[in-house]
Amino acid sequence: MADRFELSPTPIKQFTLQNGLRVVLSPDSAVPVVSVALYYDVGSRNEKTGRTGFAHLFEHMMFQGSENVPKAAHFQYIFNAGGTMNGTTSTERTNYFETLPASHLPLALWLESDRMRSLKVTQENLDNQRNAVQEEKRLRYDNQPYVNAFLRINEMIFRNPANAHSTIGSMEDLDAATIDDVQEFFRIYYAPNNAVLTIVGDFEEQEATSLVNKYFAGIPSQPPPPAADTSEPEDVASTLEVFPDQLAPAPAFVLGWKIPPRRTPDFYALSLAADLLFEGDSSRLYQKLVKGDESVVSIQGGIDERRGPSALYIFALPKPGEEVATIRDQIFAEIRALRVSGPSAEEMEKLRNSLCNDVVRGRQSTMYRAQRLAEYTLYDRDPTLMDSELDHYLSITPEQIRSSVERFLDIDNRVVLDIVPAALSEESQAEAAASPLPPGEPQQPAAPAPQVPAQPPTQPAVNGGAVLADTENRTEQQPADPSQQIERGSGPLHT
Amino acid sequence: MTNTQTETLKQPPPPLPPRPIKLPTTSETKLSNGLLVVVVQDQRLPLVSYRLAWRSGDAHDPAELPGLADMLTGLLTEGTQSRTSREIADEVARLGATLQAGANSDYTTVAASSLTTFSDEILELLADVALRPTFPENEVELTKQNTKESLKQQRAQPSFLATEMVARVMFGQHPYSVTAPTPEAIDATTREKLIEFHRSKFIPNNAVLLVAGDVEHDPLLKRIESLFGSWEPGEVPGDDFPAPPTRTSRGAYVIDRPGSAQANIVIANSGITRTSPDYFPLLVMHTVLGANASSRLFMNLREEKGYTYGAYSSLDARRTAGTFRATAEVRTPVTGDSLKEFFYELGRIRSEPVSEKELADAKSYLTGVFPIRLETQEGLIDQLLQIRMFGLPDNYLDTYRSHIQSVTREQIQTVANKYVRPDEAAIVIVGDAAQLTEQIKPYAEDIQFYNTAGKKKSKNKASSEVSGALYAGNWSLQIDTPLGQSIPATLTLLPGPNGLSGKVESEMGSGELLSATVDGESLAAVVSLDVAGHAIEANISAELTDNQIEGTIHLQDAPALTFTGTRT
Repeated sequence: MADRFELSPTPIKQFTLQNGLRVVLSPDSAVPVVSVALYYDVGSRNEKTGRTGFAHLFEHMMFQGSENVPKAAHFQYIFNAGGTMNGTTSTERTNYFETLPASHLPLALWLESDRMRSLKVTQENLDNQRNAVQEEKRLRYDNQPYVNAFLRINEMIFRNPANAHSTIGSMEDLDAATIDDVQEFFRIYYAPNNAVLTIVGDFEEQEATSLVNKYFAGIPSQPPPPAADTSEPEDVASTLEVFPDQLAPAPAFVLGWKIPPRRTPDFYALSLAADLLFEGDSSRLYQKLVKGDESVVSIQGGIDERRGPSALYIFALPKPGEEVATIRDQIFAEIRALRVSGPSAEEMEKLRNSLCNDVVRGRQSTMYRAQRLAEYTLYDRDPTLMDSELDHYLSITPEQIRSSVERFLDIDNRVVLDIVPAALSEESQAEAAASPLPPGEPQQPAAPAPQVPAQPPTQPAVNGGAVLADTENRTEQQPADPSQQIERGSGPLHT
Repeated sequence: MTNTQTETLKQPPPPLPPRPIKLPTTSETKLSNGLLVVVVQDQRLPLVSYRLAWRSGDAHDPAELPGLADMLTGLLTEGTQSRTSREIADEVARLGATLQAGANSDYTTVAASSLTTFSDEILELLADVALRPTFPENEVELTKQNTKESLKQQRAQPSFLATEMVARVMFGQHPYSVTAPTPEAIDATTREKLIEFHRSKFIPNNAVLLVAGDVEHDPLLKRIESLFGSWEPGEVPGDDFPAPPTRTSRGAYVIDRPGSAQANIVIANSGITRTSPDYFPLLVMHTVLGANASSRLFMNLREEKGYTYGAYSSLDARRTAGTFRATAEVRTPVTGDSLKEFFYELGRIRSEPVSEKELADAKSYLTGVFPIRLETQEGLIDQLLQIRMFGLPDNYLDTYRSHIQSVTREQIQTVANKYVRPDEAAIVIVGDAAQLTEQIKPYAEDIQFYNTAGKKKSKNKASSEVSGALYAGNWSLQIDTPLGQSIPATLTLLPGPNGLSGKVESEMGSGELLSATVDGESLAAVVSLDVAGHAIEANISAELTDNQIEGTIHLQDAPALTFTGTRT
């Protein structure tokens, strides 16, 4: 039992500079490395119609040079100091982060402060990064089966364009971005009072405090940016659609629900319900459909956690010849069962232990801690949630889970998206028979999705964009470290 | 801010004094059956990680059963002498633990981790699934079905297709050439084959058990002895595989994936084994050339040219063979331009010594990221595991950084010339072949075409004019629609001074060929069709023989339609 489970509190020192930059320090000398994370309160939810994908394109621009750092030198400085880095964009925020040998903390702070103070943008760099982002979109979305369909689901769930559109954006909107847009965006959102800086690892608190002051205190604050409006009606935008997918080798479907924002009792309860439904080999849907009925090859799900209305998804890949409607009914029947009887005592024990296990495993990595501290500070103004958030989850009762499932999942207000290999879709059948016109271009995608069901599932979840593909270890091929649940998503490199 | 303060911000700050790296202390014990136990005590967190690993992997699959080791690892957790599949899943979940098995080409692992509270329970489960799996008939059947479906999914991924072709071309008769099972091999897998493979390969005298975390050494060893002590040793399988082929010329291998949004490029040369004395010089060279986002390839193809989201090299050094590769996924129209830049960089790393700064930067990168890998128990175990699985020296971690530091510019140029060999490279490209062929031609005389199932499409090559003339005439086609209907059409090919011209006529629409080229037995043509008053471009790619034609017609974003036909 997890009774013996004890963790010492995370050391946390927080302060706010006069210009509004919130800073959190957490020293830990176990390994001589330091992780720095800088989170800006801007994501795709702040984008306007016609400028989708802009927050992420801008994130790429942050690596294109500032007053004292030449174009692309950010990469050079970090890697040449023996560090790893990336930047990513989601609906909620844009983050920049690096892990370095501990002695290079000043370098990280210098680099981050220089671009916060004095980003330089040129037409040439904008064009170049637009190309890089468009290749990122082709690589991770347009050239992959199922992924674009997955992004469509958010446009079906959400009615408010701020919630519905994708972080990667549309090719047309990316093409439309101008230098003026970039400069204006920088002025509004990349101000110290709209950001959080966290430092975790092997450093002296006093030294780090004085370095932060040295590099960031002189950056002027800006008027607060306009608040993002993520308000949503309860109804989903569209309940049923068919998505012809040229690259999909087999039919599949996605179910989606609109659920309450993160850190609400219903969100905690639904997140636990999601674990019981589709997380791991012991989950209800895996045991029912993959093992019992043997009707699907794989079933996966996920939660898109947001400050505003959030989403829950289930993705199923049926076996050939299986009736898709029957599989869906079985999924709904499992959800209904959870609504009627709630979780069992055994399931509650399993949830408890796996929550504790995840929290302890996450603590191993300085970057994981830096990222969580930054989120809790940016979203909740409370870095101590790093330690106390577990209690919120552990306090959820079986009845709360049952009741949240009843109110949010076992309802008709849900989204069904059938993904059909394009060659088999009815639309294209009709088109092809009459005149060989292409089926309609799929609508632009939206946001995070579970993994594409390849085997082994090595792809990171689709979540916006990142400046690099792999932050770690293209150097020597090594097995992935499952304990490092570090942000990977869209950004300037590969993750 | 004062001027002096602003001045201090102009230059990157000097580093603080370095902090010492405390490398973990390992303790090793060999059980009487030959099982090596390596323990690292780490009391920072109430957490334990285990990894049991064997020095046999996919490379040891029976030749007729590729994928057996992978399927076997998937089945370890699907039933033991005392537990059903469901019981294993429920118990792992109840402990809030993880338990996973997997194989790569050189080794097989079963990994487990849990809170300290459950460290005994999860170790017992690990021992049970590793030593006493029963491979129940129904689970074997289910795994076979699902593996076949996963294979279909893999074939939809361009990166899988590229990796598969590189392996096939580079490793020849060596077992690393196999990257996935075949449907036939999956069908032929039986419970008996699995039991036999497990019995002969999963033996303690070819294995190591690594433990990292919050453990007490002596009680742990007792526990391990009681769980693994009676495990029977066997005959250690050898690594005597046929040598990979020696390449003597450059060649291109194009996997035609119509409708691709990009071209996946891999340029491969033969490489080294993990224990080669050239490993460290090559590692440093690879870091200069393409290991990360400050390396030459990335700076050129992405930051300068904007052709790609990322261009990298990869050093694939395994136990018995290896490759050195350069890769990028680029937008289709700049495939040729990308090859130009790749070959420029591959040539430059050979002909010019790297600069002192590049050498210093690469060393700094490699020695700097080294401790980051040791932050987590899993990361530490990965490092220790490689020592055992590849046969590296016991003091590998202690000497890693000094090995890096000792590499010279001369050594880098030597290994660059030895292993980066543009004139012998295999160029593998996955993409829309109709749009690629002309772009690839300047970089490879010999181009072979494959479909996504891995089947070769064209047998030989010839100049466009000669073979174009060979196939002039009227071809009667039947175009298949997804509804199962067949639409008749006529294709007319006319040889001319500037290559082929011609037209297409069908009830769907008719129009002139805008361009047409024949390469060997492959036709690539673009036609402008008048469909109900709208001009629509279509790409035609086909294979021709004397009187037979077979291929696809591809209209913008619509799925490709297949056709067959004969010369009239």
